[in-house]
Amino acid sequence: MNGMHGMDDDDLFGEGDFDDREFDDDLLEEELRRAAAVLDPVPAVLQQIAVDAYALHDLDTRVAELTFDSLVDALPVRGVADVPRMLTFRAGGVTVDVEVTERGLMGQVLPPQPARIEVLGGPRPGFPLTADDLGRFTTDVPLSGPFALRLRTGGDVVVTEWLRA
Amino acid sequence: MTAEAAPSTAYDDVPYSRGGAAVDRTDAGALVQAAADGDAAAWKALVEGLSPLVWSVVRAHRLSDADAHEVYQTAWFRFAQHLGRIREPGKAGAWLASTARHECLKVIRSAQRLTLTDDPRMLDRVSEDGTPEQSLLDSEEAAAQSERVRRLWQEFEELGERCRQLLRVLMATPPPSYHDVSAALGIAVGSIGPLRQRCLRRLRARLEARGAM
Repeated sequence: MNGMHGMDDDDLFGEGDFDDREFDDDLLEEELRRAAAVLDPVPAVLQQIAVDAYALHDLDTRVAELTFDSLVDALPVRGVADVPRMLTFRAGGVTVDVEVTERGLMGQVLPPQPARIEVLGGPRPGFPLTADDLGRFTTDVPLSGPFALRLRTGGDVVVTEWLRA
Repeated sequence: MTAEAAPSTAYDDVPYSRGGAAVDRTDAGALVQAAADGDAAAWKALVEGLSPLVWSVVRAHRLSDADAHEVYQTAWFRFAQHLGRIREPGKAGAWLASTARHECLKVIRSAQRLTLTDDPRMLDRVSEDGTPEQSLLDSEEAAAQSERVRRLWQEFEELGERCRQLLRVLMATPPPSYHDVSAALGIAVGSIGPLRQRCLRRLRARLEARGAM
């Protein structure tokens, strides 16, 4: 034990300078961490919303993944103020096309089929929509913030991935 | 390997620290699994352990307060939705960080398309509303310390964009792993250490120049 100790000491002295600067870096980072905790903490209301979001976990529904988002996958359209956001979600054989504008949203379930739809804005119950026989649905209630669509078609329940409108 | 899962009471002490990443991942993985199986306390522990990381990612991207709140919520809603479906539950931190980052980039992109006049820099000022911790800082005996924290924060805010972003994510509580930081900012794990060193030393130099060190 003692012999080992001696060797370690030599190494430590050799790298003293280096260790000091590393140590200073760590201290400064720690000081920043404390500053952030005081000056820019997670707002308590927000953290509570995340805790409550546990209610959104549901292993029995299928998640329709976002496969197209015009914000990412399309070229920008110049000179047009209110360009609709085009989104496509897919779960197995079901596709949901959604168009979001400042005035609301419209969309279609494919293959065309009637569906009961709920527009979710968080862990609370959402507002209902109905897709007609061609799978088309529309609402003039503008979306704001995070949203998802829960669709019931036949015996199937599908929820689109959460997105910010 | 041979160790059985720890009793499900030790949620308070989730070590998402930078060292011993393997252990952290086991813990995060266990919490995600427990939450997926219906354990609300495990979910709460995940939120408490990873919330500051998600918030840091959002703040690092300089969104307006409203956008920051929405992106934070979107990341957690999506995480809840994917519980039990996440391929590597042990990397929950990286999953959330990466989701938050992508939503931040979308916000920035859509703002550019709409050419909003709101300057995010103006909207991103630290809120004037005092937190309880803030009031404590403002007490007389802590005035000097408070001044130091303010100066530190001001110099940090005025760093170049790369450094400001990196440090804002690194300063999450508990310290995020480099994998999480990599997911949060889309930079290689290997470049984080050297960049961190350069940024911290740049910040120190600024503080020293102001006589604040």
